[in-house]
Amino acid sequence: MHDMTQEDLAQAIGVTRQTILAIEKGKYVPSLDLAFRIARHFNVNVEEVFTYEVEGRTVDID
Amino acid sequence: MKKNTFYLLIGCIALTLLAIFWYSVEINNPLLIEISFILGIVIIYLARRKVTDLIEDERSAKITEKAALRTFQVFWVVFCAFSISAVMQILRVPSFPRNRTFEHIPNSLPPEIMPPRMIGYVQLGLLCLMIFLYVGFRLYYARKYGDWETDEE
Repeated sequence: MHDMTQEDLAQAIGVTRQTILAIEKGKYVPSLDLAFRIARHFNVNVEEVFTYEVEGRTVDID
Repeated sequence: MKKNTFYLLIGCIALTLLAIFWYSVEINNPLLIEISFILGIVIIYLARRKVTDLIEDERSAKITEKAALRTFQVFWVVFCAFSISAVMQILRVPSFPRNRTFEHIPNSLPPEIMPPRMIGYVQLGLLCLMIFLYVGFRLYYARKYGDWETDEE
């Protein structure tokens, strides 16, 4: 959609590519600060990038 | 400073410390290696601040934090257990039943709970244990937080 590599995104928000990959794979839950940085980078709300799940069940934030 | 230069510097410091350790054993002067070790760590910390490449972010900081915490949690129990016996050595608390082997010898000292050389070996063991614990926990948490994940890009 944004034609961007993981490396580009990682450099833009100041983390390593492995962190972006770990977030994508669900291995690492980012801090609020990082979540907002990612959302702000794409000019979207944080809910559009991340969803909150409890024991496999998606929780509606609204 | 580039990331690889920093890692090279760490390697050089480690080798230098090893040589100094060997030399301080030769001349029987532990102060030399103690001061060198502290200096080496200070140099590494100062050099780390000069690294321009990104070598740590919040995920790697979390891995380090978790590994250090778990290492500490295990290590302090073992260390305290050993320290208690070392404190007994200082206080000369007799073991029971009392050893009467040397009582017939005048001015004889009570037998040592742990000879000084043995303390050195135990300290070496503790040092190795701490390093292995930290490396083990670091590998575990690195794997848990996706350090070796690969993607299909």
